[in-house]
Amino acid sequence: MAVIRDMIPAFELFQPTTLQDALALLAEYGDEGWALAGGLDSFDWFKDRVKRPTAVVDLAGIESLRGVRPWGDGIEIGAMTTLTDVIENEDVQSRYGLLREAASHVATPQIRNAGTLGGNLCQDTRCWYYRSGWPCYRAGGNTCYASAREAMNREHCVMGARRCVAVNPSDVAPALIALDAQMVIAGRRGERVVDAEDFFIGPAIDITRMTVLKPGEVLTSVRIPPDYAGATFYFEKVRDRQSWDFALAAVATAMVTSGGNIQRARVAVNGVAPYPVRLENVERVVAGRPVSEETAEAGGAVATDGAKPLRHNDYKVALLENLVRRSLRGTEA
Amino acid sequence: MHDVEILTDREPSGYSRRSFIKGVIAAGAGAYAAGYMFRAPGGLAALPSAQGSVERLITLNVNGQRRPVDVLKQETLALTLRYKLGLTGTKLGCDRAECGACTVLLDGVPHYGCSTLTHQVRGRQITTIEGLEAADGTLHPVQQAVVAEGGFQCAFCAPGFIMSMVALTASNPNPSREEAAQALSGNLCRCGDYNKILNSAMRAAEYVRQRA
Amino acid sequence: MAEQLIGVDIAPPDLVAKVTGRAKYAEDFRAEGMVFAKLLISPMPHARVRRIDARRALAMEGVVGILTADDITPVDAPGEACLTMEPLYQGEPILAIAAVDETTAANAIEAVNVDLQPLPFALDPLQSLRPGGADARTEGNTYVRTQESRDFQSLKWPRSVFDDAPPGTLPMGEPQTEWTIGDVDAGFADAAVVIEETLSHQSLTHHPMEPRSTMAYWQNGKLYIHTSTQSVARTQAAIAAQMDLELDDVVLIGEYCGGGFGSKITGSPIMLVPAFFSRKLGRPVMMRINRYEEHYVGRARPGFQAWTKMGFRSDGRMTALDLYIVQDHGPYGLSGDHNSAASTASLTYQPENMRFRGVTVYTNTPPRAAQRAPGGGAIVAMLEPLIDKAARELGVDRVDIRMINAPADNEAWMGANQRPLTSNFVRRAIRIGADQFDWAAKRQLSGQRQGTKATGVGIGVSPYSGGSSGFDGLIVIRPDGRLYIHQGIGNLGTHSFADTARVAAEILGMNWRDCQVIWGDTSQHLPWSSVQAGSQTTHAHTRANHAAAMDALAKLQQIAAMDLGGSPSDYMVDEGRVFRRANRSRGLSFARAAERAIELGGRFDGHELPEDIHVMTVGSATGLAGQGLMGVAKDNYGGEGAIQSWVVGFARVEVDVETGHVELKEYLGSADCGVVLHPRSLAAQIHGGAIQGFGMARSQKWVMDPKWGAGFANRFYTARPPGILDVPLEMDWVAVGEPDPQSPVGARGIGEPPLGAGAAAITSAIADALGGQCLCRTPLTTDVILAALEGREQPFSILDAHV
Repeated sequence: MAVIRDMIPAFELFQPTTLQDALALLAEYGDEGWALAGGLDSFDWFKDRVKRPTAVVDLAGIESLRGVRPWGDGIEIGAMTTLTDVIENEDVQSRYGLLREAASHVATPQIRNAGTLGGNLCQDTRCWYYRSGWPCYRAGGNTCYASAREAMNREHCVMGARRCVAVNPSDVAPALIALDAQMVIAGRRGERVVDAEDFFIGPAIDITRMTVLKPGEVLTSVRIPPDYAGATFYFEKVRDRQSWDFALAAVATAMVTSGGNIQRARVAVNGVAPYPVRLENVERVVAGRPVSEETAEAGGAVATDGAKPLRHNDYKVALLENLVRRSLRGTEA
Repeated sequence: MHDVEILTDREPSGYSRRSFIKGVIAAGAGAYAAGYMFRAPGGLAALPSAQGSVERLITLNVNGQRRPVDVLKQETLALTLRYKLGLTGTKLGCDRAECGACTVLLDGVPHYGCSTLTHQVRGRQITTIEGLEAADGTLHPVQQAVVAEGGFQCAFCAPGFIMSMVALTASNPNPSREEAAQALSGNLCRCGDYNKILNSAMRAAEYVRQRA
Repeated sequence: MAEQLIGVDIAPPDLVAKVTGRAKYAEDFRAEGMVFAKLLISPMPHARVRRIDARRALAMEGVVGILTADDITPVDAPGEACLTMEPLYQGEPILAIAAVDETTAANAIEAVNVDLQPLPFALDPLQSLRPGGADARTEGNTYVRTQESRDFQSLKWPRSVFDDAPPGTLPMGEPQTEWTIGDVDAGFADAAVVIEETLSHQSLTHHPMEPRSTMAYWQNGKLYIHTSTQSVARTQAAIAAQMDLELDDVVLIGEYCGGGFGSKITGSPIMLVPAFFSRKLGRPVMMRINRYEEHYVGRARPGFQAWTKMGFRSDGRMTALDLYIVQDHGPYGLSGDHNSAASTASLTYQPENMRFRGVTVYTNTPPRAAQRAPGGGAIVAMLEPLIDKAARELGVDRVDIRMINAPADNEAWMGANQRPLTSNFVRRAIRIGADQFDWAAKRQLSGQRQGTKATGVGIGVSPYSGGSSGFDGLIVIRPDGRLYIHQGIGNLGTHSFADTARVAAEILGMNWRDCQVIWGDTSQHLPWSSVQAGSQTTHAHTRANHAAAMDALAKLQQIAAMDLGGSPSDYMVDEGRVFRRANRSRGLSFARAAERAIELGGRFDGHELPEDIHVMTVGSATGLAGQGLMGVAKDNYGGEGAIQSWVVGFARVEVDVETGHVELKEYLGSADCGVVLHPRSLAAQIHGGAIQGFGMARSQKWVMDPKWGAGFANRFYTARPPGILDVPLEMDWVAVGEPDPQSPVGARGIGEPPLGAGAAAITSAIADALGGQCLCRTPLTTDVILAALEGREQPFSILDAHV
């Protein structure tokens, strides 16, 4: 079969207005079904004719999946809330500036207007071998092209690899991990809630998936507890272009400080592993220490423990260490 | 000739040389509402629809007009506009949500037309570059500003940039140059005319303020 | 007095169409019965088609036909046809299928079975030059043209050439091209400082915003083709030649071109698919090229691996320049970028002694073509930071070292034959640029740190071709009193189709509102013109329109003298009238003069034509004969020397030493391009070219997997052209404005030089921020810079190609 990367092949389109209807449709179609959020990732796959669902279930008509609402002393954000709406939400701005920063670094205004929080979290990796439709491990094949001896892997991972060396491209994921958020997942058999850091999975767990979502499941909302509301935040994304580019590495840090000391901190990075990585060793090193260059140095020094660069991405080790270090200085990006 | 076996099992199209051309049109609104995109007789059109899936015949609100149109389920808004509604001002530069040449406004907010399903915009106000002029032909203040600044070079990106400028100046009529750049950062210009584009955006904001 | 038309800002006449969406680009046209073509492109970098089974595709409902290489006019090697049975790069089109809609056509492509026999392939010129290295073409890996013969050759260097080259140093075997001026060894002996480096410049897709879509149909034996092309008259001629048609049998409509930058000079091969296909099918064929395909068929700049050695006296004067370039040629054609690089380097630095050696090697990578300042822009981007290095070692100011090496006014030479220029004032451009940029203050910022940000300032001196001559002008004053300026040149976004027409209006004393530019449709009687490439247009067509206007002026004066007495020289023109100098009321309107011209006939209204004009102009003028007073002439103004324009770029950057991120804070371009026709468009060229240079030097990628020969920079986000947030919020410019004495108008083109200026100013500024460390490669991306800052291993070795 010859390859052409153009024109979406025909599919059935459903636009349910309730979550129950959506879940029923996804259950009915199983592997042949596709949950559509903002579509920025999905349409690429469809136009490239690499992923070809029989039925697309458009979640945009489900009102309950949209908007930001109180959740205890924290907030709950519907998964279908656009990134623009997340950015412009007052609670997000005043208490969870880390999420706002991360969301504003996504691609472009038009993409933030259409792209959703859930879509950004669930997007697939951008490994160009995989996205070119090559039969790699992640695509169900039995090799990884990107880690081959001569492969082009400047953008690939320096940690967390297991056969696959692709990275998670989400900007908001590390911010939500740093905010200790929870992901609410609905399926036919009910709802489950997982911690943000456990929502993303690496190839060691399932090489074909980026998240714990099983076929037929939908991410419905993200809950952010009050624990890090208004904390000292730092987000930085290093990329080749200042719009429409994925992170070479990104860091999101939330620190609660008191009297110049770091009481507790959460640090997460992305663009360096097949999943966004919470750096607990960094958190442990800096907890209880004063906000200072020395503390930042100490945190940065352990950020890359176990890092194993590929042939062309050794720079990511330095980049990651530096980003983590500067995220701990207590100054803004 | 190359020494290659080519299996076709049928002669190339049996069309005779009689002239099919009654004239080329620069596609105008309504002139070819039947569209060329998806017309396979019986083919795609005949695909059975699953129960509960969307109806193909819909009415869109485009530039203040109601436009009935037959839309395939997987069809993108950019293709509907360009090939079914004759609105070719919306350009396809990448068809992958990367360049912004297809930017249109949905309820006043800029979106990539190439990466929006037409079925997702039922009931929304769609504005394209063709919808900016007043009925008497007066240009929109943003268009006037671009003309005054001599904005754009090859201008393939212009419709998309202008739609982003319209949204910007409507929501923030007094932007800084930095804010204007941020608002236009979803549009790509390969001629590199960004300086003049930003001059145009700043002047556009000035015109919009004057009109308010 | 009629308004001033030279040196003022006038929006081009197509701008309202552009801002309202009414401007029609190739893919905006529809024709009755139109079908849609899609391409089947090669998944392999080099293969032979053994068998094509299209039965299933052609049986699909709505599919109307197939076009293969068997259906098209063959092209002689190393030329490139629009379809092939031996693809020479991944992405090369093998066949096309047409259907009644795009989705069906795409589905049909998937249903075709093509049996491909993989063939050895070469991506890296140096690998191909090794003993036993693969040749990109079955005929060889290079093409040799001598006085006696021209043929392919399989060029291999002895193993010792590679073994003897130290790691990270260019192996330099027997060159194909070599020239020497003076004695480089003697020059190095004279030098106080010698700089020697291996350089690496990537290849780069053009990626204009408008992919090269085409719609074509045939009517009464004539081909009507709507395509995206930089040039119009010359594209018509190219299509006619490639399809064995008479010129008159091709009607080309190309009013708008959504960017070309050298990739659509006379269109490109792929535009012929709809032309052949519509002839085969007997119905109109639209072929929309998508961005993915554009990466493959859309042309690219040849990259190179190079080596240079430069010697400087203690005052900074360059005593010797030795340059070796191994050029990546892509699979087709004959590219001379490496030669242009050498002659541009010679012009920029006027070395007392120089040697150039070069080879150009075919590779199985997408086809190359001219890309804005081909060769020249690339070489100054690589060499300017090395000039800085020499300046630092000698303790000479970086502006001063450029002043001492840049040619003095009208004393320049370039290339192997040391050709002089028509004129040059580059030293003035450096001086006024440095003043306006405030170099004296800015250089103090060099290397300064604020937090994690290190400042660098840089300069890039960049000459490139800016003209040609000998083309035709064709204008008509009709009885409506208006001036119709027929332009065979294309509308590629530079506004030159309008700006060069102003010359005719100015000479004839017309207000711009009384003028109409006719362009973009070859059925509208267009004159023979230059290609819109190499920045020829402004120079060539101000002259051609000048010549035509002078012809019209003489005819107006003659008619007035005939009707009103006196001699022609007693008459002058203004405000649409020809009248006696001594008595303004004694004259006639242009409308009346046009009527008189028609009555008089002969040469006055185009029934008799000059003998030296091109056959295309003869045809067009004949078509217009009898419609008014015609001005038609060939540009016979002559001139001696190469026509070159200059831009000197000044940039300030901040490099974040913890991330390698570069922020471009400030840019100014200073131009020497003769008379300024249209200040705002000149600024747009200076800035737009610079931004393309920023992309080339800093962000744009061209990535191929060496094992599979597959490209990955086939999306914008992987090719990374600069966005609006990657450039300074405001950019500055200034121009010398000294007329070129060899043109009656004094204007030269300015499209090319800004690219090298922008690129070189950035590479120079980044090296400055890094404390003078020159990384000697493009693009200088975050990873490359960070690795240097951290003293870590570079992501790629200096000689790695396509990374």
